[in-house]
Amino acid sequence: MIENRRWLDFLTHAILILGVAIVAFPVWVALVASTHPAGTFATGHMPLLPGGAAWENYSTVLGSGMRGAGSEPLWRMLVNSAVMAVLITVGKIAISLTSAYAIVWFRFPLRVVCFWLIFITLMLPVEVRILPTFKVVADFGLLNSWVGLTLPLIASATATFLFRQFFMTVPEELVEAARIDGAGPMKFFRDILLPLSRTNIAALSVILFIYGWVQYLWPTLVTTDPKFYTIVMGIKRMVAVAEADPQWNFVMAAVVLAMLPPVLVVIFMQRLFVKGLIETEK
Amino acid sequence: MARIQIGALRKTYPGAKTDTLHGIDLTIEDGEMAVLVGPSGCGKSTLLRMIAGLESVTSGDIRIGERVVNQLEPAERDIAMVFQNYALYPHMTVRGNLEYGLKNRRTPRAEIDARVTEAARVLEIEPFLDRKPQALSGGQRQRVAMGRAIVRKPQAFLFDEPLSNLDARLRGQMRVEIRRLQRRFATTSIYVTHDQLEAMTMADKLVVMNAGRIEQVGSPMDLFDAPRSLFMASFIGAPGMNLLPVDDLRGAGVDLGGLPGNTSVIGIRPEHLTTDTVGAGIVLDLTVEAVELVGSETLVHLGAAGLSAPLVLRRPGALSVAPGTPLRVALPAGHLHGFDGHGLRIGAASRQGQPQTAAMS
Repeated sequence: MIENRRWLDFLTHAILILGVAIVAFPVWVALVASTHPAGTFATGHMPLLPGGAAWENYSTVLGSGMRGAGSEPLWRMLVNSAVMAVLITVGKIAISLTSAYAIVWFRFPLRVVCFWLIFITLMLPVEVRILPTFKVVADFGLLNSWVGLTLPLIASATATFLFRQFFMTVPEELVEAARIDGAGPMKFFRDILLPLSRTNIAALSVILFIYGWVQYLWPTLVTTDPKFYTIVMGIKRMVAVAEADPQWNFVMAAVVLAMLPPVLVVIFMQRLFVKGLIETEK
Repeated sequence: MARIQIGALRKTYPGAKTDTLHGIDLTIEDGEMAVLVGPSGCGKSTLLRMIAGLESVTSGDIRIGERVVNQLEPAERDIAMVFQNYALYPHMTVRGNLEYGLKNRRTPRAEIDARVTEAARVLEIEPFLDRKPQALSGGQRQRVAMGRAIVRKPQAFLFDEPLSNLDARLRGQMRVEIRRLQRRFATTSIYVTHDQLEAMTMADKLVVMNAGRIEQVGSPMDLFDAPRSLFMASFIGAPGMNLLPVDDLRGAGVDLGGLPGNTSVIGIRPEHLTTDTVGAGIVLDLTVEAVELVGSETLVHLGAAGLSAPLVLRRPGALSVAPGTPLRVALPAGHLHGFDGHGLRIGAASRQGQPQTAAMS
């Protein structure tokens, strides 16, 4: 329905602007707070305009970490988060591409059983199976390790299903043409299927990277060594300092830094991301 | 180049109650273009896909050249296939599409380049070599698909309804083109279609299939002139042959003259019906039901009480008759086809106007 009335235009814009303001205000507060010196918040007064201590705050949290919080410097946590997010992304995509390939094109015994086993993992995210998973990881001695941090998060089926749906739209004739052209299963996967899945892989990478980046519960459980702390855990630890007020300027600086990588990923992958969600390149 | 021999080939899909193919015997000579045609579900595509190696063989033999290829992978059979929906690799350029099969066979680089250049020249797709299939029209895509087959220099080309996605004009052009290329490379070819114009114009050997069996094999004109059965009579030719049950005609008091005793249906092609009734054998009094002016010819649909289906009369040029007009038509004895109670042709298959039809007059 297209209507052309001035007051309606005005109203809809007002609603949109209000919505944006509600979403953006906390982000703005975080940005502003991260630029004020430490004493500002003790007065109980919340400034709405940027202050002059930005450089000092950011370099402190990035470089030396916070005193009292017993934590690593923030750059280290950022690197940890990035490594974890990338490992989860790559691992999930690699596993789901191959398993979707097997399910769609290979006829093997218990294929349907495998399919349902994978399907069931959809209903069992880490949070649900957290105790048994922790036990397994602990028994394997994987606490405080990259494997323990990422493997349980990699093992789930969401991406497998997206790829399965995509593979099922690949025309049978294309598969047959490749067979006649002498492409065996591995060659077909590498030369035809991977390039065709490019945009889907990109779109999923964005989603999975952010999924990995915002993990909080699992890293909190399996890491006790500060070497493995991730940024999301770090923020939590900065707020929950013992016997002192949280240093909000530093906390907010950490928050802003933590937001940055996902935002950058989305901005730079946006075109591929949208393409991957809407396009069928066949 | 090779002769393709198919012996007692059967196909039964797992769980199916009846066979899809009931023992096919067929030989396609070296360099010959065989066209498989038949109504949908007759098994023509299954047969082609079995030759290609895309379907397994239930029993029987497929030989390409001297080799029995039953157990070989499609890539090992040395055949190339052109698909209905082109099946080009969408992420590769036209050149990439042409090269892919050769690369997989570890053909030397220089040889690949030479073959691609040659095929591109013959098919006039040189300007598109660096484009992706998406940027091409349907006709151009089909040329690329042809190119992908040609560069392989296979023992046989297999075509699976390659023109059915093109518009009528382009289809006409491509028909001639495919035939020209096939002659030029003298490669044994099998072409599946449901379009009988394609079948008639392209085939050296026309293979008509029905319900998993071969109905008749021969040159297109032989099949046209001497259809072996009622199915063939109605299937080949557009519109098909007019078929008249003898009992209906007798019931309507038509003088049939001296037909062989076992004749149960007589047939006549629309172009052989004539309005010139002087001295003709069988004469029918009919009514014009509809007139189709095609431009170059006119199709007149004629009906009468007691006839189940209308007769069609074909005349070159325009013919102005109004529906409802009575029309007396004759069935010249020399053009009559007789079929017995089993729907089979009476007398040996032979050209029109030869002794067996003369005997009917």
